[in-house]
Amino acid sequence: MALPPEPLQELLPHATWVVEAEVVEVLSTGPDVPKISAPAGWTDTGQKVADQRVRLKVTRVLRGEDVPELVVNKPVAAYSLRAGNKGPFLLDGTRPHPVILGRYGPDSYALAKLEAALKG
Amino acid sequence: MPVRISDSRLSSLYATGQTNHARGGNELIDDAKVVQLLAAVADGAGASFDKALSQLKAPGLSRADQVRIVQANMTASEKKDLTQILDAGTVPMTASARAFVEAVVGRKPAGGGSTGGTTGGGAAFGPLQISGNQKNGIAGTVSPGSTIEAINITTAPGGRLRMDDTMVIAKADNAGKFLGSMPDVKEGDLIRLRARDASGNAGDWVTIRATGISASDTRNAVVSMQRIGLTAGTGGKVNVENINSSRQVSEPGAKLQFTNTRTGEKKVVTLNDQGSFPEAFSLNGRAGDTFSVAATDGKNNANLATEVGHVTVPGAAPGGVDKVEDPALHKDELNADGTPRFAKKTFSGPLFTDGAKPEDVKQGQIGNCYFPAAMAALAKSDPDAIQRMIKSNGDGTYTVTFKEMDYATGRFKNVDVKVDGDLYVRSYGAPLYGSSNGDGSAERMELWYPLIEKAYAAWHGSYNDIGDGGFSSDVLQAVLGRPGRDMTVSTAPTTMERTWAQIKRGVDASWPIAAGTHGSSTDGLYTNTGVYADHAYSVIGYEERNGERYVQLRNPWGESEPAGNGANDGVFSLKLADFARLYQTLMWAEG
Repeated sequence: MALPPEPLQELLPHATWVVEAEVVEVLSTGPDVPKISAPAGWTDTGQKVADQRVRLKVTRVLRGEDVPELVVNKPVAAYSLRAGNKGPFLLDGTRPHPVILGRYGPDSYALAKLEAALKG
Repeated sequence: MPVRISDSRLSSLYATGQTNHARGGNELIDDAKVVQLLAAVADGAGASFDKALSQLKAPGLSRADQVRIVQANMTASEKKDLTQILDAGTVPMTASARAFVEAVVGRKPAGGGSTGGTTGGGAAFGPLQISGNQKNGIAGTVSPGSTIEAINITTAPGGRLRMDDTMVIAKADNAGKFLGSMPDVKEGDLIRLRARDASGNAGDWVTIRATGISASDTRNAVVSMQRIGLTAGTGGKVNVENINSSRQVSEPGAKLQFTNTRTGEKKVVTLNDQGSFPEAFSLNGRAGDTFSVAATDGKNNANLATEVGHVTVPGAAPGGVDKVEDPALHKDELNADGTPRFAKKTFSGPLFTDGAKPEDVKQGQIGNCYFPAAMAALAKSDPDAIQRMIKSNGDGTYTVTFKEMDYATGRFKNVDVKVDGDLYVRSYGAPLYGSSNGDGSAERMELWYPLIEKAYAAWHGSYNDIGDGGFSSDVLQAVLGRPGRDMTVSTAPTTMERTWAQIKRGVDASWPIAAGTHGSSTDGLYTNTGVYADHAYSVIGYEERNGERYVQLRNPWGESEPAGNGANDGVFSLKLADFARLYQTLMWAEG
């Protein structure tokens, strides 16, 4: 759904990890989400796509325990992931598989904005 | 032999017809006119002409019922008047109308036709019977040699057709069998048929619902919005009528839902067998109220979620615009018990600090990207249009003027919406919905965008009514009063060329342009591109450099864009090929 990402100041307190990472493997994908019917050109339908479990190769940890790899859950959301996708991930503290926070996963916030918020 | 008519009203009505006929007009007494003449006979004995006419036009009456009504109040002299008209009248009559009058005076038995059509009176018809489904056409039996006339009364409201504007689809053979076909008949359509003999006498109407054509009924009831007439009545009522009662509003039995966009009240009405409103149908409302209309044929749009248009009650006093209530929150921002999760705060900053600019526009936490994308596009192409549409009233209120199609005139008319500066805010004071970039404080934030968005929500009912997606072209139309246009974008070479030509043409002509991406991202098409699925963008320019063509766009979030486009302000350029791959639709309003 093409709402803007949640305000960072509201999301950051829930992030146990903030990491730079790359998706190395999509381990599983959940059931299809029912398609929202809308005429061509209708935007902001709120269409979401299936949840996924993915393996992340962590290249940098900005917050949280230093780990080389994480298996995380992408919830039902407006985006999907595939191997090679990368960017900053905000992850909650769910064990054993943290959940990716942010409406658009690694595309939710620019890295510079995250770094500034974490410093502030 | 001159026609001598003793009943004064009947004489007057008939004389009008004679005059028109003598002047060479195409005067013809048809079913509608003969009912008027006969109402002049059926009046008296406590029934006024209007009441008698109303009785005769009541839905569901058979021709025999009508004859009995007329005969009940017919005097001997009136019977003589009708005989004069039959025998010496100079105004031509249809066979059906003549048969009706003959039945009234007792020359022929009354047929069984409904008020919606004509009947052959004493014509010797075998009953028209339709057999089977309509997979291969319309088949059935009737008297040998009869022609079969039909009209699709599901689609007729979309044209200028009356319910008896039929086409001949077949002629019965010597055994009375026929097989006819009609263009553009779809599963579930209502088809009205009758037979006509060689003398021109028509039989009773038969209405069927087409079946066997396809697996499902996908055509909803067509609504003729321009025939819906609203007038402010007394006691907070708005009277609803079909302003062209000889034609349908929609198909018989269709349900229309009227939602008062000011109060949110909904009312559903079932159309009668003439595809019109039942008598004395009214809504709660007042002059100036706008009603959104949704329709269903019982199969399509059964939950009445999709509207077909708006209609406004005329008569609001010029300049006397009332401030509307603050639009309610989107449902996502309500607690389970329906109470709001966010408070309001009064914003008192300037409407404009340095005119209207695209970068002023920032989408809030609401699914209405189509709206800020359109408004930012307009701020780029025609900022004066924005300055013209909103004004401060100097008392803490603002009047925003939208444009709405007036179906009675076919022209756009102004719709003024007065709002105040109260906006929903987060706990830390920032606006929840649309805001302006830069200083977001209540005292200094530039207000034109959030207030126009608020007025748009109020006009449509609430933030919920604008917060689940839409078309940027609809917004441009509602702001400019010019029809919104759109085209589909694709990577097909010819379509890409047309897209590029359209963007150049629109930008060069200062037309506002928006573009929408595809609705979902199941294959990761959008992830890491900096472009988002199910989203609308403003098209703010184009450029050609190093032999490559680029489309310049702006994300209405005011940030988030493909890498390598400078400051994170939502403004970026995409190669035309990437634009064609990631975007689905281009929308604009021409000058």
